[in-house]
Amino acid sequence: MEFSLAPLRVSVETSIVATGITFFLGLAAANWRTRTSGRRGPVMDALFIVPLALPPTVVGYLLLLLLGRSSPLGKALESLGLQVLFSWPATVIAATVVAFPLMYLSARGALEQVNPSFLHAARTLGASEWTAFWKVALPLAWPGVIAGTILAFARALGEFGATLMIAGNIPGKTQTLPIAIFFAAEAGNMRQALAWVLITLGIASVALVALNTWGRRRRGTLSSTRG
Amino acid sequence: MILELLVEIQREFKDFKLEVAFCAGEKTLGILGPSGSGKSMTLRAIAGLETPTQGRIVLNGRTLFDSKRGINLPSRKRRMGFLLQDYALFPHMTVAENIGFGLRYLSRHEAGKKVAEQLARVQLQGLEDRYPRQLSGGQQQRAALARALAIDPEALLLDEPLSALDVPLRSQMEALLVETLSAFRGVSLYVTHNLEEAYRISEEIVVISKGKEIALGPKEEIFRHPRTFTVAQVTGCKNFSRARLKSADEVEALDWGCPLHVCSPIPEDMDFLGIRAHHLSLSDVGSAANTFPCELIRMIEGPFRMTLYLKLLMSEAPVAHHHLQAEITREKWMSLKERPFPWYVRLEPERIMLLRKDSANG
Amino acid sequence: MKTVILAVLLSLAIGSSVWGSQPESQNGSINLTISAAISLTEPLQAIRTLYRQQSPNVSLTFNLGASGILEQQIEEGAPVDIFISASPEEMNALASRGLLLNQTRRDLLKNTLVLICPSSCKVSGFMDLTRPDVKRVAMANPDSVPAGAYARQTLEYFKIYQRIYPKILFAQDVRQALAYVETDNADAGLVYATEAKLSNKVRVAAVAPENSHAPIVYPIAVIKRCRHAEAAERFVQYLSGPEAQRIFEREGFVPVEK
Repeated sequence: MEFSLAPLRVSVETSIVATGITFFLGLAAANWRTRTSGRRGPVMDALFIVPLALPPTVVGYLLLLLLGRSSPLGKALESLGLQVLFSWPATVIAATVVAFPLMYLSARGALEQVNPSFLHAARTLGASEWTAFWKVALPLAWPGVIAGTILAFARALGEFGATLMIAGNIPGKTQTLPIAIFFAAEAGNMRQALAWVLITLGIASVALVALNTWGRRRRGTLSSTRG
Repeated sequence: MILELLVEIQREFKDFKLEVAFCAGEKTLGILGPSGSGKSMTLRAIAGLETPTQGRIVLNGRTLFDSKRGINLPSRKRRMGFLLQDYALFPHMTVAENIGFGLRYLSRHEAGKKVAEQLARVQLQGLEDRYPRQLSGGQQQRAALARALAIDPEALLLDEPLSALDVPLRSQMEALLVETLSAFRGVSLYVTHNLEEAYRISEEIVVISKGKEIALGPKEEIFRHPRTFTVAQVTGCKNFSRARLKSADEVEALDWGCPLHVCSPIPEDMDFLGIRAHHLSLSDVGSAANTFPCELIRMIEGPFRMTLYLKLLMSEAPVAHHHLQAEITREKWMSLKERPFPWYVRLEPERIMLLRKDSANG
Repeated sequence: MKTVILAVLLSLAIGSSVWGSQPESQNGSINLTISAAISLTEPLQAIRTLYRQQSPNVSLTFNLGASGILEQQIEEGAPVDIFISASPEEMNALASRGLLLNQTRRDLLKNTLVLICPSSCKVSGFMDLTRPDVKRVAMANPDSVPAGAYARQTLEYFKIYQRIYPKILFAQDVRQALAYVETDNADAGLVYATEAKLSNKVRVAAVAPENSHAPIVYPIAVIKRCRHAEAAERFVQYLSGPEAQRIFEREGFVPVEK
């Protein structure tokens, strides 16, 4: 394998998109969960968290079954002419699925910590459920939400097993940095592998510092969350 | 427009059933009851933060809740100003932003004007850019009040607003609340477990106990003439005895072991007698009606009043500790304590309350 | 405001990637996706360079991995045009599901299984594996990787598989098995001759006798759903041709006798 910067581009795009999707999905799921009582809650919890407990290759295998021909979804996609397997969107799907539990758990914890009185007050002052969430609950839960985003990004960047399964190892298209590193190491190309490792570290550091700073700035006004 | 709030709601819990019905007009209605009686729950139901299983809530002719017709307006449409017990000022917003939170539908200019108005009204000018944690307890309360009033609500709901404050602040805030409530053109409800507060701040009172409203009326009526045991208890009466009719104007107090003259007519369903601790008079003269020799079991000294626990000497009723609890001023105590025994306690007939059991409680 | 910036960046990212990942570019060139066993990595790279000169309008994308996984991906509909597997089993599975263009199937290469050891070699033959001072033996996983299956067959032929089972390090694929021996984390390993050739840190201690395992054959076939059957078949022919076979031989593979 010749050395190229393609894995860098693929990884950056995949991680950004996956983290973005995970951010919104995770927040929405966490918000829904805090407003649900009864049995539905814990059942969905288990579903949301399960990718965390499974080895990524297994997650990849399940995704393969889900998106491939043997499932109704896969057949539907095929009939629409949509090729998901071995495409770049597949890398995003794999990264999103494994990163989601981290974002969900962090966001849920942070939202649950918000004193319900604030939301009651907001509602009596005329706020819709969306406004109450966006303008009151979320700002008060922000530190936890940011932590979740950081975790999600790190996980998405490092994702390997599931990506390999459903996106394949296609240089320039689905070969992410972790996959490139693995195969370089396998082939004994330690210098290449190391180069990519350093690049990964660089991206991760830049991104994490950026996310952290963003989080801290919005947090400045919140040294206490009690009423 | 009629200013009226009609509430008739029921809600079942595991070990408790809330079933209240009352009406409030322009006069401030105090909702008085012990902790856990359901008064805060009632207020939250009126505000739309909780949903009753059945019932109706109608404000100024507008139906907010009607289980039969499937109407349940969300809080944001009810136009109620709600002052929560812990104020719940948004910590991530300034005072001005807090007060203006409900005004997002106005233009910035208009909202700004209103916010300034409210700030002036509660005397918080100059603090609009502070954050809640930078305010004192009293200032936070005033900010919360301003926030609730800023939306020009049709009704004002206050949930034990003074309970978190310490005494000197309390009287200040009380004055502000009374002023605000009298200036407020709309239905106002004031929830508290403190009977003095309820008396001082509201004009009418509804007493709630164990999920049921057991009395409703002008405050003087409720306090002076409680009709039932529980109402008397909630309004601070400390002395009770089961009673049995003896004649047209005489009753036997079974727990105190003494006969008493009372004011007629005696209601048919009378079960209990009650008399307030400060209506008992003590002397060393035993001639008047309803006067009995007594022994002092214990005395507890307060800063301005003394509480005396008394046992009636000639009583045939066995008692664990004391029969009656009397409250007298310090000055009275000073003159009394040198007096020789026996002392006499007098239960003035006009002060004896004739009470019945409540239907479900008591 | 920040939400807006984020949304814009996201859409740019998505947009440019979707655009950048189009398999077909506008000037009519053809892209073939070939799923191949990992041991073919080096020769295929060299062949790609040569083929580009020969047929410049065909671009080749290689998806390399363990044959078992490659097979599953094809079964689930991954858009693969040609499959080269490290053993007939995977190919047979696809054939039985009717996923191959049967007439294009042929045996492309053969390989040999060897016993390797790190430079400080302790073994000189298969029976040495039972010695107590040989603590760890690396091989690919026999259940999912053909190289592992052949290794197990050879060990069973020598009747030592059960005996040395506790000391076996099962690797994800044959490259990993090689890495274990290379880095001296295993005292010996069973890999293909082609793998052994890659590293100068290992020595070939012995060659597995040809009758100790099923023939190590690399079948190749065009997948039925392939979009450019003709181009695919031509590439398969090329791979069986003298130019390509020479490259395979150079890397240690054994050409298939015609």
